[in-house]
Amino acid sequence: MARHSVIDDTRPLGVVIVGAGFIADHHGAALRASARARLAGIVDVDAGRASAAATAAGGVPWTTDLAEALGRADVDAAIVCTPNVTHEPIALQVAAAGKHLLMEKPLTITVPSARAVADAFDAAGTVVMAAHTHRFYDYARAVNDAIAGGAVGRPVFARFALLGGWIWPDWRAWVLDPAKSGGHALHNGVHLLDLVTWWLRDEPTVVYARGRAQTAAELRIYDYLEMHVEYAGGADAVCEMSRGHRPSTLDRRDVLVAGTDGVLQLPAEGWGSTVVTESGTSLLHPQAANGFAVQLDAFLDAVADPAAERAMTQADGVRAVALGVATELSIERGEPVTLDEVMQGVLA
Amino acid sequence: MSDTTLGVLLLGFAGLGPDQDHQRSMYEPAFEAHPGFEIVDGDLDDPAVDVVSICVEPDRRADAAIAALQAGKHVLADKPLALTAADAAKVAAVAAETGKVCLPAHHQRFHPMIAAARGAVAGGKVGLPWNVQADFLVAGGTPSPAGELANFAVYPLDVVLALTGLRVRRVYARLTTHWNDGGADDLALLFLTHENGLTSTISVGRTRELADTRPAGLAVHRYRVSGSHGVLDIDASRPAVVLRRGEASSYTTSSGPDGRPRGRLPGWHGPSTVDRLLDELHAAVTAGRPSSPSAADAVHIAEIVDAARTSAASGQPVDLQEGSR
Ligand SMILES: NC(=O)c1ccc[n+]([C@@H]2O[C@H](COP(=O)([O-])OP(=O)(O)OC[C@H]3O[C@@H](n4cnc5c(N)ncnc54)[C@H](O)[C@@H]3O)[C@@H](O)[C@H]2O)c1
Repeated sequence: MARHSVIDDTRPLGVVIVGAGFIADHHGAALRASARARLAGIVDVDAGRASAAATAAGGVPWTTDLAEALGRADVDAAIVCTPNVTHEPIALQVAAAGKHLLMEKPLTITVPSARAVADAFDAAGTVVMAAHTHRFYDYARAVNDAIAGGAVGRPVFARFALLGGWIWPDWRAWVLDPAKSGGHALHNGVHLLDLVTWWLRDEPTVVYARGRAQTAAELRIYDYLEMHVEYAGGADAVCEMSRGHRPSTLDRRDVLVAGTDGVLQLPAEGWGSTVVTESGTSLLHPQAANGFAVQLDAFLDAVADPAAERAMTQADGVRAVALGVATELSIERGEPVTLDEVMQGVLA
Repeated sequence: MSDTTLGVLLLGFAGLGPDQDHQRSMYEPAFEAHPGFEIVDGDLDDPAVDVVSICVEPDRRADAAIAALQAGKHVLADKPLALTAADAAKVAAVAAETGKVCLPAHHQRFHPMIAAARGAVAGGKVGLPWNVQADFLVAGGTPSPAGELANFAVYPLDVVLALTGLRVRRVYARLTTHWNDGGADDLALLFLTHENGLTSTISVGRTRELADTRPAGLAVHRYRVSGSHGVLDIDASRPAVVLRRGEASSYTTSSGPDGRPRGRLPGWHGPSTVDRLLDELHAAVTAGRPSSPSAADAVHIAEIVDAARTSAASGQPVDLQEGSR
């Protein structure tokens, strides 16, 4: 029996993109490919960038005023792609407007603000999801599928390295300003910290991290990060995130998981094809599903049925921030830092 | 190589735990096969004995090495040279006094992939090294009752020190038990800060037996050396011929942690890491020079192992004394 609201419920979700920069294009492409959502507009503090992105998207409305966009009845959700330091105020504004939010990682750059954002969406009864996109990539899912299928028994040790020149092209970008990005642990470290925690299915308890300004003494962030995480169930993870490796054409994704029943590896040289050309050797990535589209689907699933089990919970987003904060603190102190301390004694 | 033949006394047939006897399983066959050595029946007073191959119980090993050195003999000592850094230091001091060779059996540094890598690093191929990541995971075999930090960690530690040439200043460690019912640690994670600010991380342990790895063979053995100008990936499960066979095992034909091939399948062609260790022993003795690795290297490794134990117990990093010993 059709009700009026059924038509309403099944129209594609209206989504505005906030922050029309590099990563916004990937979200825009995912929206274009989705039958369940549509791009309803663009918001950017820079009018030129907002209008250019709106034109490129076929002439959707644009504005520099977030409140105006959130006030529209045909806008149900926002995908926020702005610099990390702006995440907290924007998220709180989206929550107050009663809209859903897919927030680019990190959720925010401090633990109290991450909790405040999670609480605000809980109170509003809307969905907030942090875009830890790696969870939605084929390689990460292949590893997860294998672990879920019992391939290694109970995983007890994971190594995960992402090393590459692709990690940022512009060495002057806001990413390299810790005041804007929160530091490299919060900017990119969270990708790995979230992923290994998902793979290991355990709660992190202690972080011991080492950071290096490898490329230049002038850097204010660590272009090389090594993060050791200890888990409540006795497992350990060692994650490396690096833009400090040379040459910058280096492209490594290396996974090792040892479990009670076996060892799983995604060898650095084994996940793509090697191309040797006159200008050097490079890696040809295998064709893969669009992680941003898979991620968008997971977000739309959560919006459609907030009670269903989520691919990425609010607690996951908060935990990743806590791990990033613990990493930065551990490097500063040269000592291990407990999650309890950064969560201020209250576990999510 | 000089064609001098050295008389070898095999002293002790013990190891870490009741099942470990490297004298019979490794050194005796290697000495028998190696030109320039002859195993002799004798004692420390016997002038026919030039070299003593020591595999007495680990807690008596330092005293045995000291006695042999003081009797004017050269020493090949199974690893670990001693159970504590303090005991290892006593041996190193006597070796220095007597001028005799005291070679700790850190033979993995003679692995063909690793030996080549040491040359490449020394040749500046990766520029200034700033990080090493290492994994040394053995599958199956008898777990060491002393734990794998005491048993296996010596090997990757020695390789990292040989690759970088930089001493360790700070140690943070985790010791856990996942596979061994006996309770001794079977996975050690070592986070080391070296001179020059170089950092290294080593995972070393013994998992359960795996169908695709020969019993007590290395499931994962690798090192990544990152430098200012490049990256060197060393996969020490190579060189190997890769086999696919009717039975469940598709393991490759490189050698186990003791340097020998395991099971029915052949190893890589050419001398094993233990054969190369004996090359070094012979060369050092006949040239009258200290061996590399030396007893001092074993002391530093024992210091790192001691610090790792302290760190794992306290959950805090431990600083090594500047210029200790
Ligand atoms: N998931 C991933 O794999 C991934 C990859 C890269 C970046 N990111 C994340 O995406 C976000 C954006 O990164 P980017 O590389 O696209 O940055 P960018 O600098 O390319 O784009 C940021 C855009 O936001 C706009 N902006 C700044 N402040 C704003 C505000 N208060 N309101 C509206 N617009 C504002 C800027 O004008 C710019 O157009 C960051 O949070 C980053 O961590 C995620």
